[in-house]
Amino acid sequence: MADMKKAEPPKDPSQYKGIMVYLDSFDGSLTRAAHEMIGVGRKMADKVKEPCIGVVIGDRVASMVDDAGKYGCDEVYGFESPDLSMYRSRPFTDILSGMVFEKKPNILIVPGTKNGRDLAARTAVRVQSGLTADCMEIDVEPETDILIARRPDYGDSTMSEIRCEKHRPQMATSRPGTFEVPPYDDKRTFKKEIRKVDLKKEQLREEILSFKPKGGEDITVSKVLVSGGLGMGNAEGLKLIEQLAELMGGSYGVTRPVADLGWAPRDHQVGQTGKIVRPDLYIAAGISGKPQHIVGMMDSKTVIAVNKDPEAEITKYSDYVINGDLYEILPVFIEELKKRKQGKGRK
Amino acid sequence: MALHLVVLIKVVPDGKEVFVDPVTFTLNRSMATNIINPADENALEAALQIKDKMDAKITVMTMAPPFAEPFLMECMSRGADEAVLISDRAVAGSDTYPTSLTVAAAIRKMGDVDIVFAGEKTSDSSTGHVGPGVAEFIGAELASYSRKVTYEDGYVIAERELENGVEEVRIPTPAVVTILTDSNDPRRATLRKKIDAMKKGIITWSLADINIPADWVGLRSSPTVVKKMLPFPRKDRKAEKIEKDKIPELIDNLVKAGVIKLEAE
Ligand SMILES: Cc1cc2nc3c(=O)[nH]c(=O)nc-3n(C[C@H](O)[C@H](O)[C@H](O)COP(=O)(O)OP(=O)(O)OC[C@H]3O[C@@H](n4cnc5c(N)ncnc54)[C@H](O)[C@@H]3O)c2cc1C
Ligand SMILES: Nc1ncnc2c1ncn2[C@@H]1O[C@H](COP(=O)(O)O)[C@@H](O)[C@H]1O
Repeated sequence: MADMKKAEPPKDPSQYKGIMVYLDSFDGSLTRAAHEMIGVGRKMADKVKEPCIGVVIGDRVASMVDDAGKYGCDEVYGFESPDLSMYRSRPFTDILSGMVFEKKPNILIVPGTKNGRDLAARTAVRVQSGLTADCMEIDVEPETDILIARRPDYGDSTMSEIRCEKHRPQMATSRPGTFEVPPYDDKRTFKKEIRKVDLKKEQLREEILSFKPKGGEDITVSKVLVSGGLGMGNAEGLKLIEQLAELMGGSYGVTRPVADLGWAPRDHQVGQTGKIVRPDLYIAAGISGKPQHIVGMMDSKTVIAVNKDPEAEITKYSDYVINGDLYEILPVFIEELKKRKQGKGRK
Repeated sequence: MALHLVVLIKVVPDGKEVFVDPVTFTLNRSMATNIINPADENALEAALQIKDKMDAKITVMTMAPPFAEPFLMECMSRGADEAVLISDRAVAGSDTYPTSLTVAAAIRKMGDVDIVFAGEKTSDSSTGHVGPGVAEFIGAELASYSRKVTYEDGYVIAERELENGVEEVRIPTPAVVTILTDSNDPRRATLRKKIDAMKKGIITWSLADINIPADWVGLRSSPTVVKKMLPFPRKDRKAEKIEKDKIPELIDNLVKAGVIKLEAE
């Protein structure tokens, strides 16, 4: 529980050193978002020549602690208890804020998964510091040790730079998918420490009754994504999009209005209020390319736009532009791919 | 004794009416009207559904300038019993820390609160920090990102919807729950309740009423500062035009480059 008072900055912020990265996990493995954050922390640590400190909390943490080191942390602290096999807001906040008080990091970054956001928001209040959510860019100014956190504004046509100059640690979260996963290096050496924790009854008031894994595909891991916008004209259009996606072993995405209309489930929405994706190939069919959609897909490796309007905004974000009706263009793709697949089968 | 539920709401510009100017690439808010933050409507509905089943009192609360009053009235017209407006010039420019602190102080003043409902996030700032922040300040248990909430004998049972599944948790009161956007169908106002609401009116508290010193809040007591607005990063790609009859060639090139794989890996 936090004191009911204003956020008090430390007298000497320069005593705070290092980049702490909270590493969230699921089912005994670090999440992809955690890996992304190690990459971000590693880069900043190199820039300011301070350690990148990982914090892992779970039931059995040894393999996750090793993972964190191999992906780029200099020091990794693991906290272990059978009561911590799943995320619980209070004990996780107690442990992470305890680490903040102990290690006094200058920066603390947390993956912006739902549990990560829950934890970051509570921890920021507990340690009396400032937190910036949904950052698209996270960097540090070496001269000042100040965290530069940039996030899209409402409507996303501009970005704000948010700073937390007086309070420590300077905190930020990012939506999963925003950054690349850093390379895994089996030979990396790092310092590790695993601590067994004994939790008190009052830390464990939250009881987890059940967990039902969600079926369906996770579009953030697909290598190929075919997305349809309002240009589909109706819910039927999604079949064409899905068919092409399936042929390429990928999945499908949609814009927000398509999800709003109920033409496709919300889980498939790409963009500011949907998922952030970075596939090898993104095909945008019947999508105008409004900034709120663009933020969700602009880091895709190759982008193909299919649009009736040759001037559509999406073209600026595309490597290839095919001008035309998606109902004429996508079937060409489907046919050509089928031909090539059959050819392969015969050989 | 009746259960006391508090619903936190925020008035935000209506996202549907904000559009991006295609020429200047900036946001045009001139047409924007205000609405209750969508997730907060779901939070109110979640509280109302508990009240449908048992003896409960609902207080809606917002920290905002007086322009928020009609929105509080709207919440009462849907079934909330009372409305509190925390209004004070000193709070202007507050980030999520002082906002959570102020809201928490008002909840403490009420004293007997069992469950606090907040939205998962606001559509304008979209941080989702205030609900967890309030939980931290009042020392309550927290179930964030919930889509269904029930109450039984001193416990809240909530279905938290996470990225990879749905978790059912049970926490004792006092509890804070944050409610997902679109998780239920908010009911409409009724004329009868609207008339009742007009009779009741709105309770307004200043910072002095909730014992928060003016220098604990506002821009100067917010840890985060917005430094500058930058243009949206634009990745210029080559936008090579491909005619329909050149699609086979494009596919061949993408297959060669390994972007399209014809066989499953
Ligand atoms: C706060 C906020 C958050 C938002 N979050 C998101 C988000 O997460 N994701 C998102 O996508 N949007 C989001 N939006 C909405 C966004 O601003 C746009 O409204 C939306 O992306 C537009 O969707 P669209 O491209 O499908 O539709 P439109 O803008 O209507 O574009 C349709 C396109 O299809 C083309 N077309 C029409 N018919 C055909 C055809 N037969 N063949 C080929 N092309 C055709 C048209 O030329 C046009 O370019 C958000 C908005 C706000 C205010
Ligand atoms: N000024 C405010 N007054 C009352 N409640 C608020 C206020 N700001 C945010 N909230 C609540 O906190 C939730 C999350 O807001 P945010 O952290 O700003 O995304 C909202 O959905 C509201 O329920």
